[in-house]
Amino acid sequence: MAQVDLDKMLVKIKATQWGLGDVDWDAPGADMIGPEQWPKLKAFMADVMWVEHVGARGFAALARTAPTETLREIYTYFQAEEQRHANAEMALMRRWGMLDGDELPEPNVNLRLVIAWLDKYADELPFYVLGATIPMLEVALDGALCRFLLDTVDDPVCHAVFDLINGDEARHLAVGFSVMEHQCDDVDTLGLLKMCAPALHPRTLLGGLVYVPLLSKMRDNLIELGLPEHKLIDAMARFGKNGGRTPNGRRNPYFLLARRHARRFSDRNDKSYHVPANLAVRVTAHIPRWALPPVPSWVKELTWKPVS
Amino acid sequence: MRVETLIIGAGFGGLGSAIRLQHAGHHDFVILERASEVGGTWRDNQYPGAACDIPSNLYSFSFAPNPEWTRTYSGSAEILDYVKRLVRDHHLLPKVRFGQNVSELRFHASEAEWEVRTDGGDVYRARSVILASGALANPGYPNIEGIERFAGHRIHSARWDHGYDFAGKRVAVIGTGASAVQIIPELVKMAGFVKVFQRTPGWVLPRADRATGERARSLFRRSPEAQAAARKAMFWIHESMALGVIWSSPLTRVIERVAAAHLQKQVKDGWLRRQLTPNYRVGCKRILLSNTYYPALQAPNCKLLTWPIVKFTERGLVTAEGVEHQFDCVVFATGFDVHKTSTVFPIIGLDGRVLGEEWKKGSQAYKSMNVSGYPNLHFILGPNSGPGHNSALVYMESQIDFAVQGVRAVTEGGLRTLDVRPEAQRRYNEQLQRRLAKTNWSSGCKSWYLTEDGYNATMYPGFATQYARGLRRLRLEDYQTTAVR
Repeated sequence: MAQVDLDKMLVKIKATQWGLGDVDWDAPGADMIGPEQWPKLKAFMADVMWVEHVGARGFAALARTAPTETLREIYTYFQAEEQRHANAEMALMRRWGMLDGDELPEPNVNLRLVIAWLDKYADELPFYVLGATIPMLEVALDGALCRFLLDTVDDPVCHAVFDLINGDEARHLAVGFSVMEHQCDDVDTLGLLKMCAPALHPRTLLGGLVYVPLLSKMRDNLIELGLPEHKLIDAMARFGKNGGRTPNGRRNPYFLLARRHARRFSDRNDKSYHVPANLAVRVTAHIPRWALPPVPSWVKELTWKPVS
Repeated sequence: MRVETLIIGAGFGGLGSAIRLQHAGHHDFVILERASEVGGTWRDNQYPGAACDIPSNLYSFSFAPNPEWTRTYSGSAEILDYVKRLVRDHHLLPKVRFGQNVSELRFHASEAEWEVRTDGGDVYRARSVILASGALANPGYPNIEGIERFAGHRIHSARWDHGYDFAGKRVAVIGTGASAVQIIPELVKMAGFVKVFQRTPGWVLPRADRATGERARSLFRRSPEAQAAARKAMFWIHESMALGVIWSSPLTRVIERVAAAHLQKQVKDGWLRRQLTPNYRVGCKRILLSNTYYPALQAPNCKLLTWPIVKFTERGLVTAEGVEHQFDCVVFATGFDVHKTSTVFPIIGLDGRVLGEEWKKGSQAYKSMNVSGYPNLHFILGPNSGPGHNSALVYMESQIDFAVQGVRAVTEGGLRTLDVRPEAQRRYNEQLQRRLAKTNWSSGCKSWYLTEDGYNATMYPGFATQYARGLRRLRLEDYQTTAVR
């Protein structure tokens, strides 16, 4: 991964902003969604939309913990961009008749748990923990989910929207990988050990406990929709390859952890990972709605409306 | 027209200078004022809710006490009345030339005189000039794409449109600084819906504002000593705050905790509280005082938005989450165009030197008052004269008396020119910048105190007493002087 000049990147980010108003949501093509595709696509889009929204909350945390003013500003934009993606995906769902009125797609239980965890702990996490997790999710989102969506949906508006989204995501990944590599600049062994310490903090472990079943749950949803599993595996492998291009990148303990996790997640024969993860999906599915933590108010910021 | 001394600006600085010149027996002066009324900042900032963040007893001249203040923190109308009273009580009106917008200051070494030109073509000549055009005199607008494109109504806090009817209107407020926290609670009462666009939240402290009872006013009327004592007490309370506001200390943490408790008490929603929690040390940016700002943000007809603004459209603003927010009116509470790397108008000194060029990397002066190469020119609220913790008028009084000493050195001291030595100016600023580097202002936030390069050209890194001590005596050894032939 080439080194990214963050100041130039910030200028580029500011110059490439777009809005929901730039898309013609009433253009022909909405009827290209087939009746058997429709229910699966609805579930898929809801998941994608919520992952983007959760990503926005992750970037909001990075915008607080990032070490420089430029990075903080970049992450402030990324937070807004993830929100914009979620908004655009909601607008697509509305175009395809998947939303009634101002209704929000229902997040699954695992998403609700991740939302609650992020709301409570994300701001307290050291910068490098989310700094490694978010690129992994983005690779999965960008490299597998979105490409799959474009392969299966013919609506030209969907393609136009994801062209815009992918442009943003490419910048998110460039910054994400660059930051991950530079986190270990001038860090000695003791420094690396210090970086590892927060991984053992109960809030980080709890984060892992809500994150692992979410990933498995989403994989199950995707496979049900028809996504070939190898596409997800390829995307995860790309994360390991891109993040580990430089020696410093390969020293980042959180990159190593995320890569290890990605590999184990990709390997269906890894029973010691998948049996408890799948069990967690089944157990969490039984959590009654009333027992879930309240939805934080940042969720209410979502909108499919181009104009307010 | 030729006068001994010319004062530019009829706000607190210019009028205070005039009064002190009169006290010193110096009456050959004229005040140039670009507007048609006196008052400076307080004439311009008459937006709803405008008030001072420093108690009025301290935000007034010690040599012109006012026993009639009706509140601890008076509103702008009352402060403007006080300024007008200064003019009346000291018979200054005949000295003020209104509608005189200065366009150039040029020093003529051969006559040792400043030539002052106005954009109306008038020319004044004076041996000394007191430049009191104000640090916060010109509205500052944000650098947002398409700002001219917006077809709705536009109002800047410092140029309020009192004729505009907000009833039922959709209003955007850009900025959440000192003016915004005063305007927003008033706008929420008047407008249909208010959206507040915040880039960075400020630390907000409770405001201990109350009406001043007739008993206290009557006491101050009868006993100026009692009022002076009250002023002194307020001065020392504010002075002690420097320990937490200017430098990082345990007091800084205490101030942050008080502000956080204020936020916790007034805002119940966790996400809104997070949006309003600053991510920088208290004191790094201007501290805000308000009891009504947070409740106003939670009113049913108000919403805080923290998305970056992308551009203006004809009907509103597009923010980075992709939504176009449409409005009838945009209120710019975006502060002032503070000249940190230039001058308000061209100032040409010895040998054709242009001050704006010399200040390109950041303005600087000797003790905030004089600049080498520009003789007999005295700045009020010049570079690095701003306090973060005390009344600007306390600093201003010291500057005024220092400027009067400079004027008198020319008029009565037999001097032709009084020009600060470059090495004295350099020494002073090197030491100042070393001290500034250790302050909260340099702790990593972006603020209007700093230039784009992070150079602090506005604030004084010390106590008001320290600043005043530095200006008590004009040290002629720090100046190059020429005597009258």
